[in-house]
Amino acid sequence: MFIRIDGKQVEVKKWDTVLSAARRAGIQIPSLCYHPALETAGACRVCIVEVFEKGWSERKQVTACEYKVQPDLEVYTRSESVLKTRRTTIDLLMARAPQNAALQALSKNVEYPQTIYPPVADAGDCVLCLLCTRACEQMGCNAISVSGRGDTRKIEPPYGANPDACIGCGACARICPTGCIALTETPATITIWGKVFERLHCVTCGAPMMSIAYRDYAVANRELPEDYYTQCQECKRKEVTARFAGLSMKVHHG
Amino acid sequence: MDKTLVVIPSKCTGCGTCKLACAMIKGKGEAIARSRIHIYTTSPDEHVQLTCLQCVEAACVKVCTTGALVRNELTGAIAVNDDRCIGCALCETACPFGHMHFDTQRGKPEKCDLCLGNPACAQFCPHGALVYR
Ligand code: FES
Repeated sequence: MFIRIDGKQVEVKKWDTVLSAARRAGIQIPSLCYHPALETAGACRVCIVEVFEKGWSERKQVTACEYKVQPDLEVYTRSESVLKTRRTTIDLLMARAPQNAALQALSKNVEYPQTIYPPVADAGDCVLCLLCTRACEQMGCNAISVSGRGDTRKIEPPYGANPDACIGCGACARICPTGCIALTETPATITIWGKVFERLHCVTCGAPMMSIAYRDYAVANRELPEDYYTQCQECKRKEVTARFAGLSMKVHHG
Repeated sequence: MDKTLVVIPSKCTGCGTCKLACAMIKGKGEAIARSRIHIYTTSPDEHVQLTCLQCVEAACVKVCTTGALVRNELTGAIAVNDDRCIGCALCETACPFGHMHFDTQRGKPEKCDLCLGNPACAQFCPHGALVYR
């Protein structure tokens, strides 16, 4: 099946969205909340494009990350109306997080440096892209979700309290495109969402590792037994060295 | 998949050229600590080079829930697909040999992928202690 993106013929698979097809063809469509491994959220609207299907009287604006390809679909990623909508969207996002580097980079792409909207107080750089909640769901924890409506909408643990289901894995903090989820690590603890986790330590050298809660969760929910999670990387390598020393040759099968 | 990385500790002098080559290629010239191959010196004239064993039943692959760790059909090496990774970091701790490094800056793991069929470590080893054949 073929579609046209900005006049260029692109071969697509039937499960493609406009965004995945464009990515594969090396055509850049800006996006913030899209992640190939997570359920599509259509939350940021940055990936807006215009599409045209046979029989339509005019083009429609859709989110590229959600729109499934059709045979002979025409896609416009940089038309005047697309650029205008995209600018407004980024503008509104910037009102939530005007100083944020990730958003500033995006806004530079659409040649529009400053938001015209009044800043949202206390938004704390969160642009509600839902990558964190989806990553948490993917981990199988569902410890955080969206609460509130309108300009009080935010991401938090249920009832804003210490999230019972959180294991302190930190995936939410690392996937956050605006870096607004605080993850604090000390040699003894990991703190996230207001919850303090005790860390596991390497049984050999005592180096700090993942949280104990995360280890317990992994043992219960992934295939590997507990003894996979006892040593740090360095100590594991040293132990392997002892086993390999004196070998004249070993083969790393590829 | 007809080639494998052959490691010959008896020929290794511990010179570290492989680590440098790896860091230059994979760490984009950053610190040698970013190398995906390690050398451990067990006695003044005994050195052991360690890098990913590309396990058949790999622990890293087992704990990954997003399909971000996939075996490359051409090289047989397990490679990280950054796009699919959500940064849970479990693969790092799970690897029983210590060959998965989680880059906390980028929030993604790093491992040996045999340079997609042209491993720099073997290419630069001056002693024939790492051979890709
Ligand atoms: S990337 Fe499509 S809506 Fe966010």
